[in-house]
This record gives sequence, C-alpha cells and structure tokens, in this order.
Amino acid sequence: MAATAETKGPSTLRNAFGGVLGVFILLLIGVLAFSIRLFSVIKYESVIHEFDPYFNYRVTQYLTKNGIYDFWNWFDDRTWYPLGRVIGGTVYPGLTLTAGSMWWLLNSLNIPLSVETVCVFTAPIFSANAAWATFLLTKEVKGTGAGLTAAVLLAMVPSYISRSVAGSYDNEAVAIFALVFTFYLYIKTLNTGSLFYATLNALSYFYMVCSWGGYTFIINLIPMHVLLCILTGRYSSRLYIAYAPLVVLGTLLASLVPVVGFNAVMTSEHFASFLVFIIIHVVAFIYYIKGILSPKMFKVAMTLVVTIGLAVSCAVIAIFIALVASSPTKGWSGRSLSLLDPTYASKYIPIIASVSEHQPPTWPSYFMDINVLAFLVPAGIIACFLPLSDASSFVVLYLVTSVYFSGVMVRLMLVLAPAACIMSGIALSEAFDVFTRSIKLQLPNILDNPPDAGDMNSVSSIAQNDASKIDSHATTKSETVSKERPSRKNRKKEKEKEKENVEKVPSHSENKKRLLVLPLEASAVAILLLIVLGGFYVVHCVWAAAEAYSAPSIVLTSYAHDGLHVFDDFREAYAWLRHNTDVDDKVASWWDYGYQTTAMANRTVIVDNNTWNNTHIATVGTAMSSPEKAAWEIFNSLDVKYVLVVFGGLVGYPSDDINKFLWMVRIGGGVFPHIREPDYLRDGQYRIDAQATPTMLNCLMYKLSYYRFVETDGKAFDRVRRTEIGKKYFKLTHFEEVFTTHHWMVRIYKLKPPKNRIRGKLKKPKSSSKSSSSNHKRAGNTQKNPWQ
Amino acid sequence: MELKIPRVLLLLLLVAVAALISLSSAASPTADDLVAELETLRSQSPSGVIHFDDSSVARFLTSAPLPRPYSLLVFFGASKPDHHLRRLRSEFALVSSSFAAHHASSRRVFFCDLEYQESESSFSLFGVTSLPDIRHVGPQHRSLRDSDRMDQSDFSGLAASMAQFVEAKTSLPVGPIVRPSLISPRQIAFLAVALLISAPFLIKRILEGKTMLHDRRLWMGLTVSVYFLGVAGLMHNIIHKIPMYVKDRKDPNRLIFFVKGFGMQLGAEGFAVGFLYTIVGLIVAFATHVLVRMRNEAVQRGFLLAAMLVVFWAVRKVIYLHNWKTGYTVHTFWPTRWR
Repeated sequence: MAATAETKGPSTLRNAFGGVLGVFILLLIGVLAFSIRLFSVIKYESVIHEFDPYFNYRVTQYLTKNGIYDFWNWFDDRTWYPLGRVIGGTVYPGLTLTAGSMWWLLNSLNIPLSVETVCVFTAPIFSANAAWATFLLTKEVKGTGAGLTAAVLLAMVPSYISRSVAGSYDNEAVAIFALVFTFYLYIKTLNTGSLFYATLNALSYFYMVCSWGGYTFIINLIPMHVLLCILTGRYSSRLYIAYAPLVVLGTLLASLVPVVGFNAVMTSEHFASFLVFIIIHVVAFIYYIKGILSPKMFKVAMTLVVTIGLAVSCAVIAIFIALVASSPTKGWSGRSLSLLDPTYASKYIPIIASVSEHQPPTWPSYFMDINVLAFLVPAGIIACFLPLSDASSFVVLYLVTSVYFSGVMVRLMLVLAPAACIMSGIALSEAFDVFTRSIKLQLPNILDNPPDAGDMNSVSSIAQNDASKIDSHATTKSETVSKERPSRKNRKKEKEKEKENVEKVPSHSENKKRLLVLPLEASAVAILLLIVLGGFYVVHCVWAAAEAYSAPSIVLTSYAHDGLHVFDDFREAYAWLRHNTDVDDKVASWWDYGYQTTAMANRTVIVDNNTWNNTHIATVGTAMSSPEKAAWEIFNSLDVKYVLVVFGGLVGYPSDDINKFLWMVRIGGGVFPHIREPDYLRDGQYRIDAQATPTMLNCLMYKLSYYRFVETDGKAFDRVRRTEIGKKYFKLTHFEEVFTTHHWMVRIYKLKPPKNRIRGKLKKPKSSSKSSSSNHKRAGNTQKNPWQ
Repeated sequence: MELKIPRVLLLLLLVAVAALISLSSAASPTADDLVAELETLRSQSPSGVIHFDDSSVARFLTSAPLPRPYSLLVFFGASKPDHHLRRLRSEFALVSSSFAAHHASSRRVFFCDLEYQESESSFSLFGVTSLPDIRHVGPQHRSLRDSDRMDQSDFSGLAASMAQFVEAKTSLPVGPIVRPSLISPRQIAFLAVALLISAPFLIKRILEGKTMLHDRRLWMGLTVSVYFLGVAGLMHNIIHKIPMYVKDRKDPNRLIFFVKGFGMQLGAEGFAVGFLYTIVGLIVAFATHVLVRMRNEAVQRGFLLAAMLVVFWAVRKVIYLHNWKTGYTVHTFWPTRWR
C-alpha cells in the first residue's frame, strides 16, 4: 500500500524479501500438506488402504514389472470370471503412470524403494502439489496474500485429507492437483492471453483426463464460464485464446486416452464445450466485423447475418436434439444424470445409489469436511464480486457448481474443497488486510501524537511513520546484502525528499486510505478472533486426519477398557486363500472384496469393485439371496470353488455382508425377478431375528454368515444388529466351512463336490465329508474359533 | 380434495345401489355382487379411492362373508386435514391411481378413505386413535382391529414406501408411481413458442447491456443463496423427502426440529445451521467491505463489536450442535509432557 510511495530501490528489495519469504512459506506448506497425511502410517503401518487402491496398486505392479506396452494391452483374466477385463482400455492411467514413473525415476537414481512404498506416498506428495497449484490459482485471482492463505487452508482441509492420506492410492489423490492446476492455467491464459499457457492448459487437461472421470467437470465448467463472459459482455481475444486451443487440443488429446476414446466427441457431457466453441467463433467473428465496418454497415450486416444465422442454428439444434433424444439416457452416463437429476440414481440405478458416498450430505458433513471454511466462503464470494474480474467470476462459478454437486453426492465434497479453500483464503486475506491496516495506520498515531492533533497532521504523520517504518524495515534486512548503497546521511536526505514526495503526491490517496480503517482496539480483537478461528481449524484438521480419516479399513483397531484391539482378519483370510488354495481357483464374494482378493490373495474373482457388468453382479447377488441348493448351482456354473463372506456380528463390525445384503437382493432382483425384496422384509423391516421371513432365514448369505455362530456364546447374539439371530442350529448341505478368521470377520466356504448330490448315495458321502470337515470344526468346541 | 364434489353423488349412488340390491334380494349379497359394487364405486372416483362411511364399512367389511374376495386399504382422514395429512392423502391417491394404471383389469385390491367426522364409529371399530393411519384389511381379517397397520416409517417415503407396504401385504406389484407432471404438454408447447418468439428480443437486450443479467448484485445474491441452500443440505431433504420438522411421538404438541445422527437431518435444522454458516461470512464481508467505508468511528466500533459477538455466538453454536449431533469430540494433540 505504502510501497507505491517509495522509490524503486527499497521496494524491489522488499519485493525480493517478500518473494523469498513466500517461497519459504510455500515450502513449509508443502511439508505441512505431506506430513499431516502421515498419521495413517504412524498409527497403523505403511499399507495400501481400502478397496480401489488395491486394484491401482496391482496395476502399478504390473506396469513396473512388464512395461508400458504390456500394461496398455493387458487383458486381466483373474477378474470377472469368465468374462475377464481389458485393464489397459478401461482404467484411467494417470495415477498408475505417475506412480510408475516416480518409481522408475527413484530406481534410476539408485533409491531402491518398493512399488508399494511409492504407491503409499503418492497421495501426500500430490497434496503438496495441489496446495502449490492452489496458491498459483488464487494468486491469479486476488494476489499473493490470498494465494498463500488458500494454500495453507488446502494443505489441511479434511475433505481432501480423507482422500489423500498416505496409503489411499486412488485417482482423486492425483486428480485434485490436476483439476486445480488446469484451472490455474486457464486463468493464467485468460489473464495474459499467452498461447504458451494455452498449450500448457491443454496438456494439463490431458493429464486430468488421464487421471479421473471427473474431468467432465472441467470441460463443462470452463465452457460455462466462457458463455457467462460472453453473455455479460466480457468477450476479449484473451478469452478466445484461453478457450479455443483448449477445446481443440484438449479434445484431441483426450481421445487418445483409451478409456475415453470417442466418448470425447460422442457423449453429451462434452457437447456443451462444442456448442460454446461454435458460439465463441460467432462472437469473435461479429467483433471482427464490427472492427472493420462502419457502424451503419455493421447494422445492415448484422440483421442479415442474424436472420440467416438464426434459421441455420435452429435447424442444427433441432437435428441435434433429435439425435440426442433418440438414445434412451439422452447420451448422458448414469453418474452424470444422477448429478443433474438428483433423484435419478435412487430410482433407476441401485448400484450407484447403494454406495454410501453417493448419498447427499447433511449439514454436519460440511462442518466435518470443510470446517470453518463453511463460515468464510460467503465472505470470499462477496470479495470476488468487488470488483468482478474474469478470474474471480470463474472462481465464483466453480464454487457455485461444486456446492451444488457436493449437495447431491457427499463424495463430490472433494471438488468443493479447493473452491472453499480459495474463497476462504480470499476472505481471510482481505479481512486480515483490513484489520492489520487499521492497526498499522493508527497505532503509531496513538503512540506518537496526542489525540488532539489535527487531521492533516495525523495524515502526514501516518505517511511518515509508514514510510520510515518500511524503510527501516528494509534497511535492517538489506544492510548485509547491498554495499553500493549510499551512506546513511545521503539516505536520510533521500528519505526527507521521499517524505516530501509522500506528503505532496499521494496525500490524496493517503487521505482516502485514512478513511478505509476500522477502530484500532476493535480491529485487534477481530484479528484475535480470526486467529482463534484459524486455530480451531488447525485443531480440527489435525484431529480429523489423526482420528477420522486415517484408518486403512483393511486393518481395524478398537479401544476397549482392556486396551487396544487389532483386527487383522482380512489379511489373515487373504493370506489363507493365497497359501491354501490352488492358483486357478475361483473365489466368489460380494463385489466389495473383489479388488482385495485379486491383489492380496491372487485368486480369480467373479465380480469386483469395477462395477461394469450389472448382470454379473446381479448373478452373484441372486446366488447370495437364494437357498443353498440354487446358490450352489449358480456358483458351480461359474466354476466357483470358494465363497467368501464378511461377517461382523461377533465383534460388532457394522459394514459386513448382512448389512449390505438388501442391496444384493435389490441388485439381484433387478435382473432376476424371482428375487423379490418384500420376501426378505417383515412388514417392510429388515430383520434377522426370530421375526425374520423364512426366505431370509434360508438364504445363502444368512446361512454362511451365521453357520455355527451359536457356538460362540451359546445365545447367538449379533452385536451389529443387536439381537439374537432367528435360526441358530442348522447344517449346510452344499457348502462346507474351510476357514474362519480369528474374529470371525471373514468366513470362507468351499462348494461341496457335485457327486454328493447323486440320489441314493446321498447319505454316505455326506457323512464322510462331514466327518472330515468336523475334524476341523468340532476340534475346539469349547473354543470360540477352531483356528485359534 | 377431488372427492369434495362427487361425495354427494357417491353417497346418493351408494344409497341407491344399496336400496336396489336390498329390493331385488333380501338375502345378503354374494361376493361377486360386492366386488362389482366396489368396482362401480371405484370407477366413479378419478383417482380410484372410494369414499367410505359407517354403512359401507358395515357392508363391505364387517358383514361381508369370510374370506372376502378382495382386500381393502383404508386411509383414515379428517374433514379438515392439516398440511401433512392432506399431502399423505394425495400420495395415497397417487398409489391408488398407479396401481390402477398397472393392473388394467381384475384387481381385487381397493383403496378407500374414511373421515373421522362422518364415521366415528368405524374409527373405533378399527381402533384408530391417532392420525395419520393407513390400514390393510386382508381377505382373512375377521376383526378390523387386527388389520395391518402401516408403520410410521412407511409414511416418510410417501408414495414409494406406501407402495412397498401395499406390495408386501397384497403381494401384487403396484408398478411405477405415475406422478402427474406439473405442466401439461400443451403448456410446454406454448412456453416453447413464447420462448422462441421472445428469444431475439432477449438476445438484443442482453447485447445492449443494462439488463438484470448485468447487475452484479443479482449474481452475488444468487451465488450466496445457492451456497446457503447447498450447505443447508437442501438436496438431502429433496432426495430423501425429509419434512421440515416432526412431531414428538410421546408428546404430540412438541415439535422436534433437531435430530441426532450424522447421516440425517430435518429440514428446519438444515436451514438453521445453513443460516449460521452464511451469516458469519456475510458479517465478515460486511466488516471488510462496507464498514471500513463508514466515516463515523463510533458507529464503526459499535457495529464491529456487535458483529464479532454475533460471529462468535454463531460459530460456537455450530460447534456445539455438531458435537451434540455427531458425538464427536475434537481434541488437540499436545506433547504428553505438557499435560
């Protein structure tokens, strides 16, 4: 502020110092972003988390082992048996390629890290990158101060932490960086009109397309912004340069990614960009014509063009609508449709609606995930409107759309988080600016002058104090640096002159500035409150990172009165499968556990978390909902040897298969109508106690989950459903238990061989198989678990 | 609502039919007669919901021979329904008409409604003490008190969950719920034509500037309100059809605005917290952009102190509510030797 009044020397020095300090702060922000995500490694271990990351890890392993060409052509026969899956053509390769090349680079530098380690730490590294990208973006919008604040906020925003703790090796980890960076390059191009940045923007967009399906957000948001700019009369050649190369290059590059391919030009998600591409050309043409014609001629030409143009565009739009309307989903994918029409998924796609992260959030989710930023965002919005520039209007648009999307799906809170950070960064920075300015301009005034000093006097003293303060500030820092500076005396003279300058020239502006302050003591309290607010944010983020979002969900822990309990049942079960079954055996489970089974047990699965084939999933769902014999037939027809169920009733693990079972029924019933949901519900209520329906008590899922459960405590009390189960004593006819983990969380059953079913011989082999299996089973009847 | 006018007609018809039948045969009507009668009555009502009174309850339920060849879904209403009851009644009609659309012929499930003021004795026959109440009377139900009651939870999902109840009880699929669209196709066509005609004028206005679209304050207001609605969890309320508040089950005069639990909220609750979220930001913006431009220092001081009080209260309130609702207790991580 006062820097305008200074001569060049100190101000450049001050800028240099500010620059160095800024870089240092940015470095610290990077360290903060990285280290706050290490709680999972410290509290648990360096392990890949959850479900999808295991698949990504497996793909990365394949990439590092076999090279990029094999990866590109990889047909995986270990999932979706007997269909298999073309991995190279159906994954977003960005994350895998990033981690793969990081691993390759480290190895060629003779730093021998394992692939798993690189995968575990990819997300924290990219969070630091995302924080830096946020700094750049916000700097383009509102300057360095806001940029740094936004970067700090993003480094620890809980919503982003939840997706990027060490070990959560998923697309979003890389994609948020790519998203913010693409936005930054767009804004940078818009502000500079440079083709260099435009090209970089297209490349960054390409990286985003490689990384995440959420790239459609970019390719719809940027056209929306361009359209908004045109509509509000802000068209400029910079806008054209920012947009046209992005569409052309970006679309060409996007169609190079196999999983996108011709979707980049054929699906409705991308049509908005082409429509705006046409519009911007029309507008550019109009502006060009306007430039070369006289106003009168222009009017004539305009009416001519408008009449013809309207007719042509009406025809084109009519054809276009007819084309789109002829496809059943209007050319939109299910996920996009459920965003536009929020009630769509719950009506038509149970497989999307079944995932808990696709539910709409409630207000506590906002407080949990963006915390105090939720309070600051409105202030940021208003700051962006005063004054409204191209850049700030883009940020506002980003915020509005992401708020809406996050309202539809809790998962998209992740897209909101950067926008909220940018807005809050702007708000906080402006608030600090006002309050510190109030203190800075008034504090010397109070200290030096008695309050009865005249107005003019105070103004000059402010200016003087200000200038001298900055000057002394600069001197202390620069004394060691510069030797050719004039002597102290000379400088004093200079300063005197300077002061005169200050008094003469900018007294007007100072006068104005004098008015833009708030009362001193109130400002001090306000600053204190803002710091407390920021402190609360830090505490909340650290707490969220440590307690809420760091659990790998593959290893579970719980605190009881007698100390910490660790439940490592999943890895126990997968290790058992790996060591005790044949390499080509097929394992059936609900799709949630498909990725983990292939990655950790290296066994073929029927369905996995890539839910590309609804019928196949419905088949497994039907088998799980059918009585034993029918289920055996379904599984046998799929060559399944083992069935794996997850059961939490003994230890109280709530996300087990019994709780997911209604979705199996729904999805199964969606394809095979003989499975009817009401058959499993008593008066519309899902229950497994004595009131449960006979269909429920006889279905495979119930039997596999509760087989021998009564032997644990004698009462068969389910700790998740908090009730005694309905049917306690039963035998399995077509399956036999082969393994149950320490806490009974995973139970593995083997399909009995078909010869057992031959009539007449039924008795004998049954008893023999029973005796053989009962060797294991009855060995420790008094024990909770024979494998202990 | 739609029953108001034909009710008189219906009653007349009912009496006429009853009289006719009693004239023609003094003996009790056969099962087929009853079904035919019900079908006639149903065809008189636009949504297929038959309006019952004490005499028709006696005729079709209490005195009909067991097993009845039909099952009935009875909606218990009042002549002056409140908003909630009226909404449920229209949802009930929707289920009825969807059922009718799905089963074109030969359906032995009838939807009917009763009004408390008209048929008080029937209410006591069913043992209905509080509204709303929906009962299913199956073919085998001898005593009306034993009829299946629809759970309170089934009302919340409105038509969809009512349909589930019907499906569970009658084991007949209701079929897709057909909601009448808000505007008819003719109106859509009219709107399209109007839009097409006005488009050139609108575009001209926009190109000239100085329209609503160019007013910055409008956009600002829109943005802030979208944000407010977003953080208030409006989409959650729309998708799950959450009411603004619920009545306390133990004490019907008390209203519940806040519920515990992370994954659910009531409408009013969301708006209250959304308001708190938004007001803080607006105050900060007010202080940094409006207050600084004021000349009077005393006014500035007063406003700023008041604003800080409000902000402090709002933030504390949200923190308190969040802890109360979710049960989370955020704590710090100090080094152990500091404790």
